[in-house]
Amino acid sequence: MIPFDWVEPRSFAEAVASLDPEDPTVRPVAGGTALMLMMKAGVFTPTRLISLAQIEPHYSAITVEKNGALRIGAMATLSALEQSSAVAEHFPVITETLLTLSNVRVRNVACVGGALAHGDPHMDLPPLFAALGAKVLVRGPAGVREIDVDSLYAGYYETMLAKDELIAEVFVPALNGAKSAYMKCTSRSADDWPALGLAVRFEVEGHAHIRNPRLVVSAATEKVTRLTQAEDILKNAEADSVVLKRAGEAAAEEVTLLGDAHGSASYKRELLRVYLARAIRHALAGKSAQ
Amino acid sequence: MSQMGRSIPRLEARSKVTGRAEYVHNMRVPGMLTAKIFRSTVAHGRILSIDAEEARGMEGVYAVVTGEDVRKIIPNPYFGPAFHDQPILALDKVRYVGEAVAAVLASDPHIAEAAVQTISAEYEELEPVFDEVEATLPNSPIVHDELKPAGTFADLKHLAGRKNTNIALDYQLRRGDVDKAFAAAVHVFEHEFRTQHVLHVPLESHASLAIPGEGTLTLHTSSQTPSFVRMEIARLLGWPENRVHVKVPFLGGGYGAKVYVKVEPLAVALALIVRRPVKVALTMEEQFYTITKHPVTFRIKSGVDKDGRITARKCDVYWNGGAYADIGPRVAQKTGFTAPGPYDIDNVSIDSYEVYTNRPPAGALRGFGVPQLVWAYESHTDLIARELGLDPVEYRRKNILRDGRPHATGTIMKDAGIDAVLDRIAERMNWSVAIDRGTGRIKRGRGIGIGFKASISPTTSGAIVNVSADGSVVIFTNTIDMGQGSDTAMAQLAAEVLNIDAEKVKVVHGDTDAAPYDMGTLGSRSTFHMGNAVKLAAEDARDKLVALAAEVGLPAGTNYDVQELFRKRYGMRAGNIVGVGSYVPSYTPPDPKTGQSANVTPFWMVGGAGAEVEVDTETGHVRVTKLVNVADGGKIINPKIARTQISGGAIMQLGFTLTERMEFDGGQVTNASFADYKIPGFRDVPPMESELIAANQENGPFGAKGIGESATFGVSPAIANAIHDAVGVRLTSLPIKAEAVLRALRAAQGNPLAEDEE
Amino acid sequence: MSETRTIRFTLNGRSESVAIQPHWNLVELLHHFGLTGARESCGQGLCGVCTVLVDDVAVSGCLYLAVRVDGKKITTVEHLDEGGTLSPVQQAFIECGAFQCGFCTPGFVLMTHQLLARNPDPSDDEIRHYLSGNLCRCAAYPEIVEAVKLAAKLQKQAR
Repeated sequence: MIPFDWVEPRSFAEAVASLDPEDPTVRPVAGGTALMLMMKAGVFTPTRLISLAQIEPHYSAITVEKNGALRIGAMATLSALEQSSAVAEHFPVITETLLTLSNVRVRNVACVGGALAHGDPHMDLPPLFAALGAKVLVRGPAGVREIDVDSLYAGYYETMLAKDELIAEVFVPALNGAKSAYMKCTSRSADDWPALGLAVRFEVEGHAHIRNPRLVVSAATEKVTRLTQAEDILKNAEADSVVLKRAGEAAAEEVTLLGDAHGSASYKRELLRVYLARAIRHALAGKSAQ
Repeated sequence: MSQMGRSIPRLEARSKVTGRAEYVHNMRVPGMLTAKIFRSTVAHGRILSIDAEEARGMEGVYAVVTGEDVRKIIPNPYFGPAFHDQPILALDKVRYVGEAVAAVLASDPHIAEAAVQTISAEYEELEPVFDEVEATLPNSPIVHDELKPAGTFADLKHLAGRKNTNIALDYQLRRGDVDKAFAAAVHVFEHEFRTQHVLHVPLESHASLAIPGEGTLTLHTSSQTPSFVRMEIARLLGWPENRVHVKVPFLGGGYGAKVYVKVEPLAVALALIVRRPVKVALTMEEQFYTITKHPVTFRIKSGVDKDGRITARKCDVYWNGGAYADIGPRVAQKTGFTAPGPYDIDNVSIDSYEVYTNRPPAGALRGFGVPQLVWAYESHTDLIARELGLDPVEYRRKNILRDGRPHATGTIMKDAGIDAVLDRIAERMNWSVAIDRGTGRIKRGRGIGIGFKASISPTTSGAIVNVSADGSVVIFTNTIDMGQGSDTAMAQLAAEVLNIDAEKVKVVHGDTDAAPYDMGTLGSRSTFHMGNAVKLAAEDARDKLVALAAEVGLPAGTNYDVQELFRKRYGMRAGNIVGVGSYVPSYTPPDPKTGQSANVTPFWMVGGAGAEVEVDTETGHVRVTKLVNVADGGKIINPKIARTQISGGAIMQLGFTLTERMEFDGGQVTNASFADYKIPGFRDVPPMESELIAANQENGPFGAKGIGESATFGVSPAIANAIHDAVGVRLTSLPIKAEAVLRALRAAQGNPLAEDEE
Repeated sequence: MSETRTIRFTLNGRSESVAIQPHWNLVELLHHFGLTGARESCGQGLCGVCTVLVDDVAVSGCLYLAVRVDGKKITTVEHLDEGGTLSPVQQAFIECGAFQCGFCTPGFVLMTHQLLARNPDPSDDEIRHYLSGNLCRCAAYPEIVEAVKLAAKLQKQAR
């Protein structure tokens, strides 16, 4: 690595103002774990880093509102989210997902905003938050706007964020009894980037009658992607093995899967078929992680 | 109290838990420059030019050095233990992606690294060859214009000057008449098995710190073979050995990655060029361009009689040695002769080829090639048993090589607990009781695999045991403690002779100015060879103490106080006793045509594994639910440390079986990091049982022998055999990834999974 | 070229200040003070060999810019035997033989301290999950699980 400027604005507004949309060598840094990897690999060489470590503390707050909705400050660490008892109570699926997200030291440092803004399709929180119907509150020079997490990603390592915008907060609507699960499938060692990530959220009537399903695939695709045709099949249907099989087939057909060292595209298609049913069943059984 | 069989903590335990243990990785000295390496981006090419102007002009860059600069101070800058084929920095040609081409020196490593980024080279690209079988075909590209054996090994001399070949060694063994036996056989089975490219990745990457003196040189290096480093550096420089001082602290893992010479010649050349201390410390990524384990193609054919006895076995083994021979030719020979496996077979033919390709060099990795062979012969043996409808354990019992019977080399087996290991695995697997085969999508199965290995021979170890006037003892040895616990084992052996507590013994290891020659810490040879040398040295010291007692007038057989002895002799606390020991086992070189030898190894290592697995038939995922590892340990010096070696070796092989593979795009490694090259972590470790069968190695020190590699032998075939048992499909290539299992399952169902379009 | 900057922090109980380059990572900073128990190995935060505590929280020193510790408290493995007495975790690692080459051991020891501070009586599964970000190529994993359990027992007895 070669030297660069390190600036530590004291406020979020000042941080936004220090970004330079014209200069790709100026970047904000929250926990910095992903950015450090890129810098060490020589794929990113900064001239200036804008540290968000000193901004107002409320950007690290984690709050469950009275109605059960969750607000997470962008600078909250993944560990803070993992250890929040309110989150464990209202969103066990988030707590359980964090247990196998990277490792303890990364979680101690990495921040929720960074995890969403990085755009790496192999990460765990983007598909989960997309399935949970979360939004990010984004602040730029022109003010604040909201973006649904399921439409935050433009491509491989690409987001809809402008170069001078920062995520300020994540809003996750209340589960209100909805079922949810995130499953990741690794194909080499247990602790590996997933070959496939799959997040589901749906409401259920009676035993297994599914309402308002949201299904999101990641890792095997270029970006976090909603499985709308599979959702259509599950919508208002009884989640029996026939329906789950049909939904799995639809999911496997509707997205472009990418082959890589984790598995060929045709293998990942099999995984998607299989894991879609498993994720729904896990969610129905009240389990949220493998 | 006997010191044998005591599970004392490692002598250096405290320094390891406090983070204070010394590794070359941590060393720095005043005035030190750090080297960073510019590497080839083509797999095979002639160097046309190297442009380092910008790097040379950068503030903080001390020097940029190329192969031609090295040639000015070392006229023939080619190194290697078997062949002098590897240039310190590439000369004329590059032979693999990642080969070192130039080095930048700077006080600040970040500056050296940034400067490397500015260097470029032009190559005339030549056609590369990557596959070990293709490289032996008549029209293959040729990696080296001429073979240059080092002259160290008698059986490589005939290769000198050979041209137009990539075969760096064509080892052969012939016993009996295989053709006749195949003709007479009732059944003939033939299979081909392959293993993937993997590597050691010790957590401490290779590091060498060379400090030039006036006509002398001190080299701190992370080496398993300090004596060889000294010889090879002295040879390259044309210096007497006494001007080169090699020191080795602890190693942060070795597993064969740090045998012979690796980055040492570069550190030395750079230090002598700039006349300042120079440190070469590789990154994890650079390990992938330094030394790896041979991928292997093994064609194995067996003839079986009506009773199921194996009457003939033909083995054709192709070792992908990569661009430089390293110790590969010895792997092809020393390991090659065990290719038929631990079976009693009258008619055997082995052809074992060490092959140059344009991949990173391959050498020794925990087992010296044996795990690749066991993968093949134990998969093959299992297939034979299945085909004949016989129980795999019973089938092995019928054919196993027992003590007193001749091995394929003609050497009569002795102290090799092959049958004992097989029996113990069967017992621990509860083999006589059927297992739950599973229902639904999860299917269960079990399998075993056993293997054996000869020790490297003939090799030498020397040791010194010093007894000071206060009675305290120091062992001087060039056996390196890289985690296997050799310091502790040597202390226990010396303490056993001297009748003291092992904890009180100090071990000075890895210092060529202080300790005698040792061939190297490799091939599980140290407990046996250095152990014998330390025992002899301790006995020598004990005998001298007895003589001293007589000299000062104590009657023979008296229980004397050592301090009192010295006081009586010198009139004060002064003086010391030096015991010296040197050990070379007997050996008969094999006949070059037939491979026959009456004494091919001083001892055998035997190990095996049993595995129970669950296969997810929807995804192909394999979960090992039980892994039993058993090895013949001879007499165990320190049971706790020994057991850790067994389970550790098995887990390492589990990675080579299920998760690890170097991925290549052309000649470029595309997963040179822990993010994408997956070694086993905590959550990959299955429920395990590890056991050393206590036996006796008659010629070993107090009956002991080496065990560092034995647990790697059986793991891969045990798992493949278990998968076959569970779901009826056979995997013939490593690693066994979930996708490969699912593809095999679907192919067997007549519903194959589509291949991706490129 | 950017400037060096002076940062102040507490290192193993002592106040320190030092001029650093902004691109140094925490491992490099510690080596500046002769502390080599944290070592860079994989360089990607995956192996845990570079584990350091910052404000009592474990981080990967190789991915942590030194400039970020300004005003913070750093604890390294070298601090655990202050006064010459090994911590219960260190004693347990020795007792159980929970290492071979020892290169990864400081990271495992520090992470075990963190685990037991949070969870004084972890199950085998909790141990494996918590330590899954630390790699041991010698694969002393079974012995490490034993050591963590023994350390938990020793800590309880000490209270």
